[in-house]
Amino acid sequence: MRIIIIGAGLVGSTVTEALHDEHDVTVVDLDGTRLAPLAGRYDVTTLEGNGASRRLLEQAGARRAHLVIACTPRDEVNIVAAMLAKKLAPQVKAVVRTTNVEYLEVWHERQLDVDFIVSSELETAYAVSRLIGVPAARQTDVFADGQVQIVEFDVDPALPAGDLVGRPLRAAGIPPSSKVASIIRAGEVLFPSGDERIEGGDRIVVIGSPDAARAWSAALGRSSEQVEDVVVFGCGPVGAAVAQALLRQGIRVRVVERSAERAREAASELVDARVFHAAQLDEDFLERERIGQADAGIFALHDDAASLYAAALAKLHGLRLAIAIVQESVSERLFEQAGIDITVNPRLLAAEEIVRFAHDPRTRQVAMLQGNRFEVLDITVRAESSLTGTPFRDLPITGSLIGAIVRNGHVLFPHGDDVLLPHDRAIIFTESSRVSQVERAL
Amino acid sequence: MIAQPRRPRFAAASQLARRRLGVDVPGALNLVGFLVKYVSLAFLFPAAVALGYGEDPWPFLAGGAATGGFGFALERATRGKERVGAREGFLVLALTWLLIPLLGAVPYLLSGEEQLSRPMDALFESMSGFSTTGASVLTDIEGLSHSLALWRQFTIWVGGMGIIVLGLAVLPRLRVGGRQLFEAEMPGPDVETLTVRIREAARRFLLLYVGITVAGVAGLTAIGWSGLDERMGPYEAVAHSFSAVATGGFSTKARSLEAFGAATQWAVIVLILVAGTNFALLYRSLVQRRPAHAARDEEFRLYVGLLGLASLLLLFELVAQEIATGEAAVRHAVFQAVATMTTTGFAIADYTQWTALTSITLLGLMFIGASAGSTSGSVKVVRHLLVGRILGRELDQTVHPELIAPVRLNRQPVDERALRGVVVFVLLYLGVAALGALVLLVDSAPTGLQLRPFDAIAASAATLGNVGPAFGFAGPMGSFEPFSDASTGVMVALMWLGRLELIPVVVLLTRNYWRA
Repeated sequence: MRIIIIGAGLVGSTVTEALHDEHDVTVVDLDGTRLAPLAGRYDVTTLEGNGASRRLLEQAGARRAHLVIACTPRDEVNIVAAMLAKKLAPQVKAVVRTTNVEYLEVWHERQLDVDFIVSSELETAYAVSRLIGVPAARQTDVFADGQVQIVEFDVDPALPAGDLVGRPLRAAGIPPSSKVASIIRAGEVLFPSGDERIEGGDRIVVIGSPDAARAWSAALGRSSEQVEDVVVFGCGPVGAAVAQALLRQGIRVRVVERSAERAREAASELVDARVFHAAQLDEDFLERERIGQADAGIFALHDDAASLYAAALAKLHGLRLAIAIVQESVSERLFEQAGIDITVNPRLLAAEEIVRFAHDPRTRQVAMLQGNRFEVLDITVRAESSLTGTPFRDLPITGSLIGAIVRNGHVLFPHGDDVLLPHDRAIIFTESSRVSQVERAL
Repeated sequence: MIAQPRRPRFAAASQLARRRLGVDVPGALNLVGFLVKYVSLAFLFPAAVALGYGEDPWPFLAGGAATGGFGFALERATRGKERVGAREGFLVLALTWLLIPLLGAVPYLLSGEEQLSRPMDALFESMSGFSTTGASVLTDIEGLSHSLALWRQFTIWVGGMGIIVLGLAVLPRLRVGGRQLFEAEMPGPDVETLTVRIREAARRFLLLYVGITVAGVAGLTAIGWSGLDERMGPYEAVAHSFSAVATGGFSTKARSLEAFGAATQWAVIVLILVAGTNFALLYRSLVQRRPAHAARDEEFRLYVGLLGLASLLLLFELVAQEIATGEAAVRHAVFQAVATMTTTGFAIADYTQWTALTSITLLGLMFIGASAGSTSGSVKVVRHLLVGRILGRELDQTVHPELIAPVRLNRQPVDERALRGVVVFVLLYLGVAALGALVLLVDSAPTGLQLRPFDAIAASAATLGNVGPAFGFAGPMGSFEPFSDASTGVMVALMWLGRLELIPVVVLLTRNYWRA
């Protein structure tokens, strides 16, 4: 496969490292000094210049490329590069790295013609929320202004059978306003019928209201491990994304930010968080707010040294679990040595996600659930569709499932007796191979 | 150095005076004349009614002629309304809302009606109407001619129309009392200019206003025709719908709504409950069919919640003190809570005869008012909501000095400047209410009026809040007639101030308003 990588920073070089062996890789960057070590270490072609320039893309062989990965730190450059590449060669798959969650939303609405988008901020947020002991493995997506959530859970193998686990779904105590969209067992995806059971070790995908998602989380989690009170230090893009993800899970979040302006912005963005304008090394503050008694601290300051200092101080104050978001690749070892519990590197996470896509770039997916081959579609039902007026229990079973309906701004989690109406917005969970079939039917 | 004039010279402003003044007075007067001119059309309605009932139409025709003539003359004598900006807006508002009630009092004086022969009383009645207050100096309402009685009701309806335009389209642009926040922008087709947008918003809200009035008339007439309440005829239906939709409170009956049956009273509860809701919210839920907006709106929820709470309090007291039982107790409690909090001022019982607890509850409701963007007066629920949240934040920050917490309304952070506007408004409102009560109390002594301090506070609150009936002799079954001319004049000013939400009038008293 011929791959063009635009941007040779930490993300770009990690991706290069992972892909150079099997593929024919060309790396593009504005800065020649970053290209030199890559060219020296791996068998790749390098090209100095602006990746968002058509001439340069042509020169890099975009017309014959199979995959373009745009992962510079600048969103707009990445998007323009991907767009140009797709114009030059319609068969090319384009992957874009973004720091702006809004682009991700636009992409979900299919308004951005690229094949995959990765946000290091969101990847970090998912990683942290996975780490923090809430069994919500990752919140994949939010639809209809946050009224519908799709959440993946890993069911703990040690979880005893109860109301929910080990009982046929039709009889299980499933939280209201939610549905089990699929069960992934031993790598196989099941669209569950009422006779199916959830078993320990399964990964399940649930579609439901935010309240229902929390109820699932509580039902599947072990209460002793539940983290309920988290302090996030530093409210840059990463810190804000992490705080948002934790808030969505119903965790109490406090944010500490030393820039007054940034703190004010964060306070107005994060509706349910408590935001403090304070320095992370202010011991009076740490003492007054009892930071040491929090369940966990997330350190997402602008540079790693500041995060290290702040995390170490918080540990001195008795903080149980310190998670540091780091930028440098050396930080992992350094932080571990200093007694910081966990480090998370956003750029490595983004690179991993890109590599995962590069290995299997088969579909244009709206919301791809990690490692699986199904999509979540958000479709408005046409008036002419032959399926309108049919009760849900009579809809053909085609390896897809209507998880929720948005009708006149209200969200319905349909039952067998409900009827699909024209102009309903349907949130559909389907196997990738059936996407076009579903789109045609509706 | 040339001395700065404290007060503007009148319309004969020379170019020199204009240059020294920061306010374009002739332009403002020009606009006032333009607006007043059109109000003369309102006089045609009672004139037609008078002809229909075989009564004398001349007081109305003369009033209309006076209004039209005055407006026309004022407009001709001045020029420049096209240049009127936000700064002149305050002057225009204050003057218009003063001149229209003044001219609206002409038919009362010309009618030869004994009860309104004192000019100050006629002005009070007129201001009470146009400000949708509903307080009255009449002692024998049923003695009025049909046309005069309907003119009272009509002034309220016209006033309500003015408030809808003022409150939803004009005041938010003048950033009065933090109000710019409460009115969500009208959703609709994108229009180019602010004036077009204001006009479009005003048109929609007025259509809604007329629609609710028509629905009210239809509903009440239906109750009369179906035999549920044979005392409710078409005339009464029109008269009371005018009054209810504008949350005014004038009635054609001396005993207010007590004169009608339970079915009418329940219907009126619904009508004023709707009229006390933010019209932008009503527009979204009724016209655009998105009732979820109303269900989620924090002000609306608090509005309904407070009404429920007040109704329960009243109900508890009515039942405990054996004043009423069963359905009647519920109806009395709900009606009085709704009528008082929406600042309508209808009554179905003489609540002055109830207990101390009910009196305090009702007085409290007078200081709350209904939703912003409705025709109701007083402070408005949303301002109380925000003041509560500001208070909560202050307490929170006392314990957590580093905390940064925006005050939110419907999850949206509220601008700090607007919050200050809200606090200032509430303080000013309470200050003016207290001052008004004090003046009424002081003035009552030499005239030998039996005015208890509680009644003075209630009379001040009821007029400033555009509620209407108060307590004591000025209760729902009583009249404001015993007050001296001076006290009546003070209350006219209070109604005027309250209707314009204080600031547009108070700002005229500051020197920097007039300075260039």
